Amino acid sequence: MKEMRNGSGEPPVAAPNPHACAESVSASRRAFLRGIPVLTVGAVAAPALAEAPGAQAGAHWGMLVDVRKCIGCQACTVACIHENAVPEGSFRTIVSTYSVKQADDAAQPAGTYVLPRLCNHCDNPPCIPVCPVGATFKRADGLVLVDGERCVGCAYCVQACPYDARFINHETGKADKCTFCGHRLDAGLLPACVETCVGGARIFGDLNDPEGELRRRMKAAGSELKVLKPEAGTKPRVFYIGLDERFQGKVEGQGALWKPESHGG
Amino acid sequence: MNPTIVETVNVAREVAWLPWAVQYFFLIGLSYGAFLISLPGIVGRRPGWTGISRLALLGALLCGLTAPVALLADLHQPGRFYHFYLYFTPSSWMSWGAFFIPVYLTGLILYAWLALRPLLAQQAADGNLSPRLAALCRTLAYGGHESRGALLAAAALAFVGAALVALYTGMEVMVVQARPLWDTPLLPVQFVVTALAGGIGLTLLLQRFAPAAAGAPETLRLARALAATQLLALLVGAVWLALGLSGLSPSHAQALAQVAPSASWKLTAAWAAGSAALTLWLALRHPGSGVLIGLLALHSAWMMRWTVFIGGQEVPKTGAGFYQYHLPLGHEGLLGIVGTFGLWIALFVALTALLPVARLGGENGRTNI
Repeated sequence: MKEMRNGSGEPPVAAPNPHACAESVSASRRAFLRGIPVLTVGAVAAPALAEAPGAQAGAHWGMLVDVRKCIGCQACTVACIHENAVPEGSFRTIVSTYSVKQADDAAQPAGTYVLPRLCNHCDNPPCIPVCPVGATFKRADGLVLVDGERCVGCAYCVQACPYDARFINHETGKADKCTFCGHRLDAGLLPACVETCVGGARIFGDLNDPEGELRRRMKAAGSELKVLKPEAGTKPRVFYIGLDERFQGKVEGQGALWKPESHGG
Repeated sequence: MNPTIVETVNVAREVAWLPWAVQYFFLIGLSYGAFLISLPGIVGRRPGWTGISRLALLGALLCGLTAPVALLADLHQPGRFYHFYLYFTPSSWMSWGAFFIPVYLTGLILYAWLALRPLLAQQAADGNLSPRLAALCRTLAYGGHESRGALLAAAALAFVGAALVALYTGMEVMVVQARPLWDTPLLPVQFVVTALAGGIGLTLLLQRFAPAAAGAPETLRLARALAATQLLALLVGAVWLALGLSGLSPSHAQALAQVAPSASWKLTAAWAAGSAALTLWLALRHPGSGVLIGLLALHSAWMMRWTVFIGGQEVPKTGAGFYQYHLPLGHEGLLGIVGTFGLWIALFVALTALLPVARLGGENGRTNI
């Protein structure tokens, strides 16, 4: 985490980009909504905005999940499915939900812990070197993607991901995963899950922008800032605030009560 | 503080390497295991090994030809297999495997043809074949000459290929750090040991159909070799357990911690150790029980792969508990398993229609080799 903060020590893009653009992709939903008037005005004034901000020089996309603000409504889960046409029974993101009870206090009712999960777009992704045909790759802006034209559906990457974030899409026969909604980023939009998050728990932005909301919130979190399975050395680019250490790796507990029905294959 | 955690909502990731993968690893293992058993008689010309070595060669060929079909079927885009050759990726063991398999199979097929040519000619001459089959046999024999130099060269190529296949199949699974059960340097060793045992087991089974090679001394030789593999398998298992229990190796300890609480995993471990011990005891005390120990060894080799692949994928990487796998009846499950064995049997029928097991297993052909 620390090296990430310093790792972006390249000269931050000095170019005075149309500020509205940077604002729009480095924001939680609320900040994004606040920025809309600016964006609209900017869009009229500057045709350059139509250019993909995904290609914004030097950007490195990341996400911060503030677990304290997540209410477990699964709006992100549903938004992702609709945005990306994820087949029934498969998920690119889901809010894992746990019932937690203090065993030594029978009177206390069980509490609920929620943990939004998605591809961590690792800086050291174990899924990439194993791919036998080089179909999965990391884009310059940090997105870990799958080239669907090349993928043979061998599922080696599915095995290698320590976060169970990948799966075989049975409608395409290829490896599937969260793309940070790269197609939306390229159009200057936030990922669907971020945009739809009710509690503003998902903050998305450019890790290379020290002034952006993402970096400011990460800095403010201090030692509260965590990643999943840090010991795996994968350098995730999805960060968490309020991540209970019992949920940081494989959760010790009783298995899922609810499971999606398996698809038709 | 002793909190109890119950997962109420989470995704259950399904098995992505299907039973096809189990079939592939099983068959390719049997193939290179049986290939090694073919060497003493055919390459080394050790007395008393000719018959069993030829039978082992038949087994190696049958499994070697069937295995790639199962591997292709495990791809979710089998029609794109040529991508392996268009986009070589040196960082991936699977990518290397796509090149090692043809090396092995080319060597194996050449070796088998050179080793069996004289027998094919003999069979064409006095095998009571129908005229058409006899003609086919004669064509395949292509003169029926013995070419020792070429045979040795082909055997060497097949041996290199077999070693590379054994290496890559083990490494491919071992490097997956996300699965502590796979991420152990002992896994490739376990694959090789059980593959060798399976190869011997298959030879013992084939021997059953060849009375000439089912003599007590031959069975005894194979039984002794099988006993050695079982002893080795038990030793490796003990080392694995010791590493996990002692905490000397964190990844072994983690793997053990993941599966130790599960009753079905305990049963699987007891089953594996028990059948290895039983095979060992039978092979030493009742070496004549050739078919029985052969079947036991085959079953252990298959079970080991099923447990590693299907069982390993039932352990969630982040979620609590286990994913439940139910074998589907269609091509993604049972039909795939039955289908691969069906293909094996079809090839067995085709090959033995030309060269009956009795002739392969007979020592009489030896003078012509």
